[in-house]
Amino acid sequence: MRILLVGFGVVGRAVAKLLEERRSELYRNHGLMPSLVGVVDSKGAAESARGLDAAALIEAKEKKGTVAAIADHGFSGADPARIIAGSDAQLVIEATPTVVRSPGPALERLKAAFRTGKHVVCVNKGPLAVAFPALQELSRHNRVEFRFSGAVGGGTPVLSLAQECIRGDEVLSVRAILNGTTNFILWRMDKQGEDFDAALKEAIRLGYAEADPSADVDGVDTATKLVILANGVLGRPCTLSDVSVRGIRGLPRKRIEEARKSGLVVKLIAEVGPDALRVEPQEVPADSPLNVPANLNCLGLKLRTGGDVSLVGRGAGGPETATAILRDVIDIWHSIGSSR
Amino acid sequence: MKLVMKFGGTSVADAERIRRCAQLVKERLKTDRVVTVVSALDGITEDLLAVAEAAAAANDPVLDAHLAQIRKRHQKAGAELGEPELLRPLQEQLDRLALGISAVGELTPRSRDAVLSFGERMSSLLFRKALELEGVKSKALTGQEAGLVTDETYGEAEPLMELSLYQIAEKLKPALEAGEAPVVAGFIAATQHGVVTTIGRGGSDFTATILGAAIKADEIWIWSDVDGLMSADPKIVPGARLLPRISFAEAVEMGQFGAKSMHPRALEPAAERKIPVRMKNTFKPEGEGTLIAQEGDGAGAVARAILLVKDCGLITVTGAAMIGRPGTAARILQTLAERNINIRMISQSVSEAGLSLAVAGKQLQRARGALESALLRTGVARHVQVDEEVAIVAVVGSNMRGMPGVAARVFAAVAKKNVNVIAIAQGSSEISISFIVKREAGAEAVRALHENLLAGVSE
Repeated sequence: MRILLVGFGVVGRAVAKLLEERRSELYRNHGLMPSLVGVVDSKGAAESARGLDAAALIEAKEKKGTVAAIADHGFSGADPARIIAGSDAQLVIEATPTVVRSPGPALERLKAAFRTGKHVVCVNKGPLAVAFPALQELSRHNRVEFRFSGAVGGGTPVLSLAQECIRGDEVLSVRAILNGTTNFILWRMDKQGEDFDAALKEAIRLGYAEADPSADVDGVDTATKLVILANGVLGRPCTLSDVSVRGIRGLPRKRIEEARKSGLVVKLIAEVGPDALRVEPQEVPADSPLNVPANLNCLGLKLRTGGDVSLVGRGAGGPETATAILRDVIDIWHSIGSSR
Repeated sequence: MKLVMKFGGTSVADAERIRRCAQLVKERLKTDRVVTVVSALDGITEDLLAVAEAAAAANDPVLDAHLAQIRKRHQKAGAELGEPELLRPLQEQLDRLALGISAVGELTPRSRDAVLSFGERMSSLLFRKALELEGVKSKALTGQEAGLVTDETYGEAEPLMELSLYQIAEKLKPALEAGEAPVVAGFIAATQHGVVTTIGRGGSDFTATILGAAIKADEIWIWSDVDGLMSADPKIVPGARLLPRISFAEAVEMGQFGAKSMHPRALEPAAERKIPVRMKNTFKPEGEGTLIAQEGDGAGAVARAILLVKDCGLITVTGAAMIGRPGTAARILQTLAERNINIRMISQSVSEAGLSLAVAGKQLQRARGALESALLRTGVARHVQVDEEVAIVAVVGSNMRGMPGVAARVFAAVAKKNVNVIAIAQGSSEISISFIVKREAGAEAVRALHENLLAGVSE
């Protein structure tokens, strides 16, 4: 299967490595022979009809800053959307970082993929959060597959679990922790008694938060994931503007101490109720499955018949997210029929 | 308020009228934000169609005549707006396109759409110029530039609605917030590959409601040369009244029966989002027009309007073999569908020995031929009878829903004038009753019903 990989950061490189490591097993179990016919990063691209070598790509990126530096197949200066449109790949993996405020370029790349008949696996949350119904429509119109498992929960199958539960039962409500950075901060504030600022500093030091952590801290990252969950799985068309969002910026330590006295903890909860979509700090019983430590994520579903179901796992990470991407690639491979 | 204002062909037929419409926009801009949608100048779309066909047939005299007509009208309009060469580039493009079609000797649906698109592209430039003369800053956008994207069914392109709504909002919202008054060419759009398409039935009205939905407009105003919707055709019923307010459902029903309402396809985006649509007259702008909203003004009359569809033919298929044989109706409908025959009305009695269908007059003979060959040969039916001189009378009104005795009143009123009712159909929406009478009795039936069901209601 010919694959074009867009984005060669932490996730993109993890995908290239993973495809290589699992090569024989993918063939044995799925009849799938993935071939990276193109890779695009922020400074350039590389293309080869015979498939690019993962090690060479990673070396070029790490040593020279771009895959364009790879011998023979690299080039720069081309517009990614045009590379996508002109490529003969069957599937495009969109693994560029999310920039919620300007989803435009990523959206153009997805449109280019769809209109040239390419299946898409996307982990960039930007276009998904603002234009999900449009992307759904475009993929159906062009009769191609569109998956985004890794957009929510990293490698942990949050969306898949919700999808499974819906098939036999009815989801009454969802409460979830979808952002590891803020969970880490709140956990530190609780366990170590730190102030918000100190906890944030520690998160940045450990690499759990960006230098500018506002997307996480202000609840925007959680909200975008909630929108993807609602649209993609729960059949609730909505966009970012439909979610009422409050983050944890400046959350007073007092609130955490008060909560502890009543056997509660404070968590940044993403909630889908019958009439509302919201993200806000909420008090949660300390013995609830939602009380997850460090930078973990947790999906909590309340089912009509099945009761409470929860899933706990890491919510991010290059290699972890790459496994979610691979799941989607395999699913697409099976749904289009191995004859291709 | 956020408004979408659409101006129809007669309202923008020449420079003077365009200026008048531009003034209407300017007036509104004092208090509201406005997106304008324009149709082609009245008659131009027909000229363009003739251009397309004459080019394909290499009929040079006819081709040149129509191109000249288009050129002349637009040049005159441009000149009167102070810029005679405004449309020269587009005109030249059109000339070249016609040449190309002539050379190939073939008109494809795709190239037809390319030709048809010039009407609205030209009128939107004229309108933008007129706004400029009024001191209003604006940009002229094609449907594509506004973000409207469709599938590839040239001539009747279906919008990719979610994508279009997203793109249009992205494009127009910032413009509105910056105080601009964009002018968008109606009727035209493009595929995801950027190839021009026309959106078919509903036309510029459809463009207007899609834009309205995308920007979450407060109201959509459809300007034309009529005051609004009437309770009956004034040519048949001199006492026909303007309807101040009707529901979306009633508007759709009335449109089905030939009222100069909007096409249901165009009403849908507004109805779904409950955005009221106001029909107004550019030649009498101070009039209230007709407001189409969630609810009509319920008060009073049993019915809202009486309509007449004159040009119909009735086909009745009969035969004892049809009784109790499942699938006969399906066969009949399938046969007609295969020949693209539009069925206006269906009526079947419980005895199942006959099925009556009303079709458009000009499709009658084709329908008859299709049914005869499909059904008589195989003995499924015994007779296919045709009545060429019939009309459909329709009574529309949401007040009729759940009101017992309406049908009785309708047919009593008609019987009193000795009009024979040939077949009857009542939609399950309960907001219309339609029946078939002899063509020459149509007008009389309409008058009788108007008097009986609508009289005595205060303005």
